[in-house]
Amino acid sequence: MLSFRTAIPRRQEVTLGVAGLVTFLVVWQLVAVSGWIKPQFLPTPGAVLAAFWRLFTEAGFAGDIAISVGRVWFAFFLAVIIAVPLGLLMSSYRAIGAFFEPFIDFIRYLPVPALVPLLIIWFGVGEASKIAVLWMGTFFQLVLLINEDTKRVPREYIESGLTLGANQWQVMRDIICPAALPNMVDNLRITLGWCWTYLIIAEIVAASSGVGHVIWSLRRFVKTPEVMAGIIAIGIIGLLTDQAFRLLHRRAFVYLDR
Amino acid sequence: MSYLSLQDVSKTFRTATGDVEAVAPLSLHIVQGEIVTFLGPSGCGKTTLMRMVGGLERPTTGQILLDGQPLGGPDRRRGMVFQSYAAFPWLTVAGNIRAGLRYRPGISRSEQADQIARLIDLVGLTGFEDSYTSRISGGMRQRVAIARTLAADPDVLLMDEPFGALDALTREHLQTQLMRINRTEGKTTIFVTHDVEEAILLAHRTLVFSARPARVIEDIDVSTLLPPAARDTETRDQPAFLDLRKRIQTVLRQEHHEGSKADVA
Repeated sequence: MLSFRTAIPRRQEVTLGVAGLVTFLVVWQLVAVSGWIKPQFLPTPGAVLAAFWRLFTEAGFAGDIAISVGRVWFAFFLAVIIAVPLGLLMSSYRAIGAFFEPFIDFIRYLPVPALVPLLIIWFGVGEASKIAVLWMGTFFQLVLLINEDTKRVPREYIESGLTLGANQWQVMRDIICPAALPNMVDNLRITLGWCWTYLIIAEIVAASSGVGHVIWSLRRFVKTPEVMAGIIAIGIIGLLTDQAFRLLHRRAFVYLDR
Repeated sequence: MSYLSLQDVSKTFRTATGDVEAVAPLSLHIVQGEIVTFLGPSGCGKTTLMRMVGGLERPTTGQILLDGQPLGGPDRRRGMVFQSYAAFPWLTVAGNIRAGLRYRPGISRSEQADQIARLIDLVGLTGFEDSYTSRISGGMRQRVAIARTLAADPDVLLMDEPFGALDALTREHLQTQLMRINRTEGKTTIFVTHDVEEAILLAHRTLVFSARPARVIEDIDVSTLLPPAARDTETRDQPAFLDLRKRIQTVLRQEHHEGSKADVA
């Protein structure tokens, strides 16, 4: 049954995945009803599901999700439109790379939560500071990832372009970009996931709306089922976004061997 | 009349462990339409020499002239086919050939379509127009790369061991096909190889190179010994071919021997 590094049928794969989830839920349920742990620390899965329902029907949670998703996408968009061209230029022109790399490497190592107080001083407690936190968290990582992706485009592709008569801009547009695009999309998918981590931090510290704010304010009333439901909601949003990116990847890059 | 001239061209690479002379100062004249094969041991500097003609390496000394004009960096006048398959995987066969036409000024849409059809036919890829190059064999990918380079209509065709990574049967098939393509296209060509038979079979003229730094140790007029128009797969069995192969092998062996002595000393 456990054959080493061998593919298994698709059906078996799905069944095992479902079985893993169910096992987790069963163990959770058993522990919750056994009385070892008090319900305010570990509510049953059913209680969490009910809280999930209440959040949407009574607390207007959908609005908070929309606000959080909006923040993530806006900040992510701002990071991407600057990081992609900059990363491409850094790998194309050594001088530009040499100028930016040490600076970006330095900022990249600063833990984003440590920047939150500074960003609040600069941008206040409004939308701007949340966008700034998300942007700081993704932009610098993304520049270096895009830089690497475009650097890895085989030299033969670029030299083919030049000897076909393309100029430097045409090589970047017609060869480096399409050649690096599959890896870039993968890296965008991963970086968008990080955005969610920083969003919750930003919303916990200073916000009056959003998923992070909701979770944090429910904590004060020890509404453990609601807190867990909020966390699970983030997981579901992340999973859906990730799957959407994967689907896009499969559809857009049909030529790749998988 | 010299069309492509190399005048005292040399190349020295600066590395962390010191200077490496890849190509010793060398002068060379190639006439229009001539197919010259560069034959030599691996790593002898023949590829570096060709890359300098392509503008992909800058000569340390000397200059290269095309039709009397000094050459600089890479452009459409010198098309290059690489050893590794440089067909673009995100494009189809037809898309790759279109990429070769893309930077040619003043080509109408209908002309583009005609050219693509002609080139696909020329390299024998009819029926694969819409296949992605990641879905076809190495030999077919290399034919795509050749067609794409021809699409750009370069003055000089540079081929860097284009069949080096192929199996023996495919290589023989592509050599025969290239002989035919050369006859119809008539491009001035430099073809780099370390395969003696290939160097003779495809050449009007073969230059045999020494081990690094590259020097020309033999300049053989293959055309007079084996008329190009009469060549085909069977040419490999002709006495003139076999004599020539033996002669070149002897030269290469001697050169290798000298090289080993130098290594010991």
